[in-house]
Amino acid sequence: MTMAVAEAQKGFIDVRDMGVTFGANDNKVVAVDNVSLNVQPGEFVSLIGPSGCGKSTLLSIVAGFVKPTRGEAKLDGKAITKPGSDRGVVFQQYSLFPWLSVRKNVEFGLKMAGVEQSKRNTTARALLDLAGLLSFENHYPDQLSGGMKQRIGIVRALATSPQVLLMDEPFGALDTQTRVVMQEILTNIWQQFKISVLFITHDIEESIFLSDRIYVMTARPGRIKAEIKVPLPRPRTAEMTDTPEFMNLVQELKGLIREESLAAMAPEIKDRGLSGFGMKVGPKGVGEIF
Amino acid sequence: MGSMASAKVVVLPMIDKASEPEPAAARPVAAVIADNTAASDAPAPAAPEMAPVEPEIIPTVSLTTVFRHLLAKITRERIITAALACVSLGALFLFWYVGTRYKLEFYIRFKNVPTPYEVYQQLAQVGLSNKYLVNIAISVRRILGGFFIAMAIGVPLGLAIGKYPRVRDLFMPVVEVLRPIPAIAWVPMSIMLWPNNEASIVFITFIGAFFPILLNTIHGVHSLDGVLIRAARCLGASEFRLFLNVILPGSLPHIFTGLAVGMGVAWVSLIAAEMISGQFGVGYFTWEAYSLVDYPAIVLGMITIGCLGLACSGIIRMVGNLLMPWLAFAPGGKR
Repeated sequence: MTMAVAEAQKGFIDVRDMGVTFGANDNKVVAVDNVSLNVQPGEFVSLIGPSGCGKSTLLSIVAGFVKPTRGEAKLDGKAITKPGSDRGVVFQQYSLFPWLSVRKNVEFGLKMAGVEQSKRNTTARALLDLAGLLSFENHYPDQLSGGMKQRIGIVRALATSPQVLLMDEPFGALDTQTRVVMQEILTNIWQQFKISVLFITHDIEESIFLSDRIYVMTARPGRIKAEIKVPLPRPRTAEMTDTPEFMNLVQELKGLIREESLAAMAPEIKDRGLSGFGMKVGPKGVGEIF
Repeated sequence: MGSMASAKVVVLPMIDKASEPEPAAARPVAAVIADNTAASDAPAPAAPEMAPVEPEIIPTVSLTTVFRHLLAKITRERIITAALACVSLGALFLFWYVGTRYKLEFYIRFKNVPTPYEVYQQLAQVGLSNKYLVNIAISVRRILGGFFIAMAIGVPLGLAIGKYPRVRDLFMPVVEVLRPIPAIAWVPMSIMLWPNNEASIVFITFIGAFFPILLNTIHGVHSLDGVLIRAARCLGASEFRLFLNVILPGSLPHIFTGLAVGMGVAWVSLIAAEMISGQFGVGYFTWEAYSLVDYPAIVLGMITIGCLGLACSGIIRMVGNLLMPWLAFAPGGKR
């Protein structure tokens, strides 16, 4: 049944030969180099890699905020040029509008689409109920905890019925306990909506728990280093994280990521000592001050 | 959180999805809603049908509850605040009273300063006179004129300058050159520019209010978190909608700071303009009193200006609180 549903659905992300370069001439930085990846309709795909590898840049391109230097990103065969409500985005920072009540926040996309008030209201309330936050519909975002805000961020992105959901380390700012619960909530919501998800994270366990497939990126310039299928059955449960299959995947990914994290840091550490970490130390630093 | 997670993994109308080949975009939310309604744990859509069941409820409010409600508002904090306000105003009054009562002279001279009682007599004498009230009305009219024009131009222009670098490049040089010129320095030029006295005074008031409003609005746009703009774009906001629904409300706190500061400067400018070139107005009333050696009237004029300024900024603060109820919960907010 799942396969049949997937085929009937839209939401196919196709990124081909993508390259992104920031700056010009001397301070030119190649952020992403020759990346190709795809997300099948209804599939949950994670992108994982060391910090600064360009994974957020990739997501920004699919979201339509950034234009690639080379290559292209397509959604259902159409080139992505600008942001749009066919792609829901959940950001790492809480991005709820502080001046709108929780319900009005969820309604925002529908309002922009010109949906009438009563219909907006019904949809928003149903989504808030799904997120378990219906009783907070008239609260302001600043009255809620981080986990609550992010759940609202997720259902707000879903309100306009996008074909894909793009998530940029959405649980990065949460504490470990909240994070685990949020992951379960997300898998449940995803299973209900069955839309494609591109999920950025640097948390290995998180990516395995959530994904059907994981792309591992190299250190800058970001390239695809490996593509790993997660054969764990659905629905995923918290107990699965203790199974040998899960552990093995964690080990495998840890190895891949560690190589890259070292590769990302090694030359800087070797060449410039602690200043490789962005610190100003020693006589040179002091000399610059006086 | 956890209970919700496990409760909602219900069988969903996937079959519906597979069979219907039309735009997938419109379906998922509707499908989930349909499911939730069926599961009858969404009270929301059912609410309108509930209404006729119990139509006989007449809201009754007992006096004791009202009284208790009012009493609950009188907290320890509020009492302390009110007490300190009395202390500070009382000290000022006492200083004035003692100084004038004993005609103190220690570098500053209270010799010619009228006593509180003299000022009170003056108030009783002119307080409800036509002349005094007309002066107040005219000053208020000038303030409102200049202030609202400044707001009507300053806020939209500030939003545009804050949002578009090109608009900024075009307008900011002029703003930076004109801004350091105090409104008072505009008096002679204003008299030359405008056909009548009234227009020139309103213009000076406008100049006073305009720059604080403009600069705070620009600052409001700049301090708006970029992720909110990106979020709005993803949710399908057009450029115009983005202005109306994100940039304007997002910069509202700074705009209101600008309005409050602008109102203060507007009063300063107005009074100065009225003293120099005016006919009528509270500033003119005060200056005329000095020319006529009517010292109690000077103090009355000053107190009038103080009260009017206080009322104006109070109204702005009140409107701000009404328009921005969320600020009460913002980090560093009141609650």
